[in-house]
This record gives sequence, C-alpha cells and structure tokens, in this order.
Amino acid sequence: MRRPLIGLTAYAQQVKYGHNDMMAGMLPMTYVKAVHATGGRAVLITPDDPGTDVIESLDGIVFTGGNDVDPAHWDEPRHPETDPDETRDEAELPLMRAALAAGLPILGVCRGMQVMAVATGGSLHQHVPDLVGHERHRASTGTDPLAANASDYGRHDVVVEERTVAHEVFGRTLTVNSFHHQAVAEPGEFVPVGWCPDDRIIEIIEHPAHTFALGVQWHPERTTDLRSFEALARAASRTRATASA
Amino acid sequence: MRPIIGITTYVVSASWGVWHDLPSTLVPHDYTEAVRLAGGRPVLLPPDDLDADVLRALDGLVLAGGPDVDPSLYGAARGPFTETRPDRDAGEIALLRAALDRDMPVLGVCRGMQLLTVAAGGTLHQHLPDVLGHEKHRPAPAVYGEHDATFAPGSRIAGLMGEDVTINCFHHQGVADPGSLTVTGWAEDGLPETVEDPGRRFVLGVQWHPEVSRDVRLFGALVAAAAGVEEEPAACADR
Repeated sequence: MRRPLIGLTAYAQQVKYGHNDMMAGMLPMTYVKAVHATGGRAVLITPDDPGTDVIESLDGIVFTGGNDVDPAHWDEPRHPETDPDETRDEAELPLMRAALAAGLPILGVCRGMQVMAVATGGSLHQHVPDLVGHERHRASTGTDPLAANASDYGRHDVVVEERTVAHEVFGRTLTVNSFHHQAVAEPGEFVPVGWCPDDRIIEIIEHPAHTFALGVQWHPERTTDLRSFEALARAASRTRATASA
Repeated sequence: MRPIIGITTYVVSASWGVWHDLPSTLVPHDYTEAVRLAGGRPVLLPPDDLDADVLRALDGLVLAGGPDVDPSLYGAARGPFTETRPDRDAGEIALLRAALDRDMPVLGVCRGMQLLTVAAGGTLHQHLPDVLGHEKHRPAPAVYGEHDATFAPGSRIAGLMGEDVTINCFHHQGVADPGSLTVTGWAEDGLPETVEDPGRRFVLGVQWHPEVSRDVRLFGALVAAAAGVEEEPAACADR
C-alpha cells in the first residue's frame, strides 16, 4: 500500500548550525519522524505567497507549531508578549482555508490549532498567564518542557467531550505536555471539544462539517503518544483511496 | 497549478529563537526562493529511504548541496577529509534512481551533481586541493570562489548560460569520472563544472551554487521541463 503524503507547514527562519547562520526553510525532525512512524511520507510546505495549489498534491496536512499569530488578523492590538510570525501567517491562513475547502484531512499542532481558529474567523487569548494567573502551560525560557524527562511544569490533563472525533482518538482523558502562551478564545468555525480541567483553557478543537480537521494545543510529535498523527494518517489514507477509486 | 519541485534537505542540529541544537530538517531559503521565482512550487523532502513514492506528487527534483557522498558508493576507500551523511545518501540515491527511471527532470547542485555522477557509475575526487594543488573552489569558510567556466558548444548548459559564464563555487570534492554522463562544462583548471545526460528529458548537474543568485536561467529551465514545456531551440541547437 502506498503511503499517504502528508504536508508539514514549515518555518522560513534564520537558523544557526555548525558555523552556519542562514535563512532556511526548516522544521524540527520530531514532526517528520511522527509522520513516518505513523505510516505517512512527510514533505515540508514552506511559506509561499502566491498560492495554495500545493494542496492538490497532498493526502493530508499538519499545521505545525511555531511563533504567534498576528492579532491584526482578529482586529486586536498586539500584547507586549506577542511575537508573531507574519511570513507564516500570510502563507498559512490562506492555506488553512484552502485545505478546509478541499476537504483535506488536517491536524493542527499548537500554533497550527490557533491558525485553525483565526483562519475561520476566531480569535486568541494573547497571553495565557494574564488570563489564568499561572505559567503551567509553558516553561521558563531556555528549558525544554517537552523533553521526556521534563518535570510537571508544562504538563497537565485534558478532558475530552464524548461523541466527538477527538473522543474516538483520545478517549475521555489524557495527559499532555504543554508549551504555549497563547490559546484559542473564539474557535471560529471549529468547536472546542477538549479542555484543561484546571483552568478551562481550550486544548482540542475540531470542525463539525469536516471528516478530519483536528487541532491540539499540545505537542504530540515530541511524545510517544502519536494517536493524533495515526488518526491523520488513517483519514489521509481514506482520502487517497477515495480519490483513486 | 504550478509544477511541484521537490528539494532534498539537510538534517542538522539547529538553533533559533528559544530553541537550541534541535535536530531539524532544513535547506537554505535560497533554494525555495529560486524555485518559487522560476514559477515552481517548492516542497522540501526530508531524507527517507523506505521508498520513493513521494515522486508521484512531484514534477521535478532538485538535489541540494551538502556533505560528501560516501566513497563506498563508488568503490573507493574513505579519504581523511571526507565527511558523509549515510541517511542522506540512502534516501537521495533511492529517490534519484526512481526519478531517473521515470525520466523526471532533475537538477543537481554541488553535492547533487556528485550524486548524479555516482548514480551514473562515475567517481569523485575526495579532496580537490590534493589533486589540483589550489583552494580556488573553496577559498575560505563561507566564501564562494568566483570564476569563469567554459561550456561545450551546443550543450544544454551552454544554451542556458549564454554570455555570462561566471560561476560561484564552494566545494572540496569534484567529479573524476562522470560515468555514463557527459561533462559539458569545465573550470579554468579543467575540473568538470557541469554534467548532463543527453539521453533524458532534463538531467543537469552543476558544481556551483546557482540558487544563491536565484539563477532563473537554470531553475527556470528545470521548472519548464517539469511543466512539460518544450525548450527554446537555441538551448538545444546541436541536439
């Protein structure tokens, strides 16, 4: 059986490696490995201004984590802690709308989930600590809350609504890692279906009119719990089978 | 829909923003911009040697620059200055062979040209300063060597480059024996700078870095071939 082709949105970012300091199209390998481990073939979709035509060649797409979405997209002034990636916004907001219109299976991870909300008319909380009065959704700068040996800091439970796609994937509860300082306020065309029970921060959204458009606020690609990637691969395989039938 | 051009990538430990030494897949932005400006839609291909199935979504392939090709792939012992990446070799050789099988247009840049050569049964010089006695192909870290190349009259590359034959190099290995490919360009010291396969639709390897100047002559020709557009007669007058 052929592997479904899964697009991963990527950074155009100034990076350093070895003696190099360059502008690169890039993405952490954790996303690539998560796609390959769940039976897909990953390709990176770099930010690209003219169009969304690349959608036609994919069986599924992951909108990956990254910097903040510019609050100008929901008509709000910028919070001092907000650090947007305008290049990715300009590419990914139209790409998200095109992927939804095409019925392409979509997984949104962290920023990717936030792009889902904003692309469909929703909005974000720009700085979660202002809202909930604690920092448990992220860790201090320079530490890695997503490492396998991370402490409880940046790690919490999620409760999932029954009779949803998310419930089929995750069951009633799960424990997740966490590294974000923004969160979905209004989910746009999406529906919130999972929450952090401590503070009601939205952790999962899905699109009610779409076979598979699931957004998660945490980072499954940095864990051994790849159920969200498996679900995407299954949906992408079905799309492929339908398309070639 | 624009032709989709796959670009092979590096895997390195990269740092940016709050992230330090995170294993990442990346390619210099120059490549994606060069493809985009030439009218193609770039996608990046992280190394993966399970199969070459990804080719079904692609119209053309760019083999990007990078570390040395493993000398065992051309039957040589490893030299002291040779630095290889087995994951890239395995993934890219499989991808290249499958692309050649289906006559997909391929542009090889630097390491990519060397990979084309090895896939065609050729061999490489593992450290040019030992062979040529000079460092003009890699003057200093992160400094491109500029020189004029000579191209074979009537070759594809001669048609594409026209009057401006200045090229920018950064490499310490080079093509020794081109295998079944044809050498169509040379540096002043005689080192092969381009290889072509005249028997295929579009197979071109260049030892220099046309992506840095986003050279639309080369990337435009790749995108046109990927779109199935016939070449201008001037580009293939003698073929």
